[in-house]
Amino acid sequence: MNFDGIHDRLRVIQAPGLLGADLPRAAIPGAKHGESKDAGRGGDAFVLVDPQKIVPFLHVCRDEDRLRFDVLVDLSATDPKAEDPNLWININLLSVERRQRLAIKALLPKTDLKMPSSTAIYRAAQWHERECAEMFGITFVGHPDPRHVLLPDDWVGYPLRKDYVFPKEYHGISCE
Amino acid sequence: MGLIEHQFEENVLTTRVDWLLNWARLNSIWPMTFGLACCAIEMMAVGAAHHDIDRFGAGAFRASPRQADLMIVAGTVNFKMGERVKRLYDQMPSPKYVIAMGACATGGGPYFKFGYTVMKGVDRCVPVDVYIAGCPPRPEALLEGLMKLQEKIRRSSVVRRPARMA
Repeated sequence: MNFDGIHDRLRVIQAPGLLGADLPRAAIPGAKHGESKDAGRGGDAFVLVDPQKIVPFLHVCRDEDRLRFDVLVDLSATDPKAEDPNLWININLLSVERRQRLAIKALLPKTDLKMPSSTAIYRAAQWHERECAEMFGITFVGHPDPRHVLLPDDWVGYPLRKDYVFPKEYHGISCE
Repeated sequence: MGLIEHQFEENVLTTRVDWLLNWARLNSIWPMTFGLACCAIEMMAVGAAHHDIDRFGAGAFRASPRQADLMIVAGTVNFKMGERVKRLYDQMPSPKYVIAMGACATGGGPYFKFGYTVMKGVDRCVPVDVYIAGCPPRPEALLEGLMKLQEKIRRSSVVRRPARMA
């Protein structure tokens, strides 16, 4: 599969917040892109996006005729390193109609963990954003139901952050 | 036996109250339908025909804690679930028994070090009678745990506190 079409399209329509695009990895290590017989396994089309403009960007991805990404497969976050200044927001989209996928990454600075909620575009993002919020401490502005989804409501700290300090006790029960 | 000999009609048996109560209890330990993780699959295997926990009178898995005598904690208990487990335990009528099945319920298991929400053993919220090792334990191990529990019940008395297992 050739992913250049997705990148070209995003550039042509000047998708808001698009910072960069990359070719997918080659399927076989060392093979150039397009040389492998199994080109589709090399990875998804990949773009880097400004997190504050994620809503108009996703809106374009969903409604633009050549893109038509109608399914939000995943929305998650990554803390790469304790000393890294950014969190990664990873969004995976799927177009059932066009049979294509898109991997979106946004770098969110740890000093200001706020970004707009994608739930207005993809309702499936609700639980994903709730999980990101409780696990990483990200505030999704405009989320309709910002409760915890997995952890207890009174949990202290954000467990999937690299600088997370394990609790000593919870409700009088020792954690050690 | 001379004192009560020929005092009753035929078909009357005499026995000790302890023996009768324990006999009734240990042969009808009804477990609660209750599975938290992969250990529950082994527990279901015990309930099925091949291992057949019904041989011990413990095959009637009840859907309500109010009808159950035994809670088999089959799986990982986290703090959020632990409060519910405690609540279910409180709803069971006495005498009630708890089996901690597998490594997670016994002491946190593979989540001991990095499982931030995993309770390091279900005995931190409910009293446990029998611990079963394994990850998950074989069905035979659960049957042995049940037999250990029956042994424990057999030693108990209505007037004394239950004897500690050796």
